[in-house]
Amino acid sequence: MDNMKKTQEVLMNSIFEVFEKMFFVFLEPVDEDIRYDMVASIQFKGPRKGLIRAYISRPIASVMVENMLGLDPKEVTDKTMEDCAKESLNMIAGSFLNKLDSKKVYDLSIPTYEKKSGKFSKSADATMALCFDSDGQQMGIEMMVEQ
Amino acid sequence: MSFNVLIVDDSNSMRAVIKKIITISGFQMDKCLEAANGREAMEKLADNWVDVIVSDINMSEVNGLELLDQLSRNEMLREIPVIMITTEGSEERMKEAFARGAKGFIKKPFLPEEIKKVLYQVIGVGQDGQYEEDSRSSDELDF
Repeated sequence: MDNMKKTQEVLMNSIFEVFEKMFFVFLEPVDEDIRYDMVASIQFKGPRKGLIRAYISRPIASVMVENMLGLDPKEVTDKTMEDCAKESLNMIAGSFLNKLDSKKVYDLSIPTYEKKSGKFSKSADATMALCFDSDGQQMGIEMMVEQ
Repeated sequence: MSFNVLIVDDSNSMRAVIKKIITISGFQMDKCLEAANGREAMEKLADNWVDVIVSDINMSEVNGLELLDQLSRNEMLREIPVIMITTEGSEERMKEAFARGAKGFIKKPFLPEEIKKVLYQVIGVGQDGQYEEDSRSSDELDF
């Protein structure tokens, strides 16, 4: 198995783990482009330096908040969705880097958040991009690693 | 016997989840205080007695490791056990946290049982909330 394929598999397992354990959301990998309503980003620095971004649709973010905090859909606010989007990315990045090599130390930045909608397609400088579907709602993750 | 807990995390949602898990786990919690970073935690500790601190590492202003340093420099606060709940789970980072005074370490994402187990271990009480008896005979005790 080449390095890129292994890295992608580790990233995907980290995403599944975080979404299933913390948000009770079960994701299915999909190939096609997806729509998003918010973007969270986190940088990592250590033996390798890079950035991970999460593109999340509003319905998935709402379900994440509802499931994590036990709230009704009406109680979900933009602020709680932002918080969950940032925290999910923080956990994905930490879990991914730890699974990749638990002996190496990485520093994570404080996650940032932007409320913007669009159609996700892999950025030109992205090392890898993954798209997921959960009950017809979508999200995507992309990672840039400095060479 | 019930315990006062201070939860330190910059995510409101994560603080709420940790609080909920501790509550439903049956852990005998009296007061639950919350802080968004190490600086706020020290402010809460100035006015409140706390039995155990549950803290994230990656926070703005004063992070979790810096909070451990501030606690260890304070005679009144250095004995309060601190459990780190964090995404930063490398072996080196864990060693660093323990060397700076942490008593427990939980990696995010976590299962509810992990929080309960580590809380009881760190506070030194059994799952029934009673202090665990020393099983050694009196001859084996230190004094």
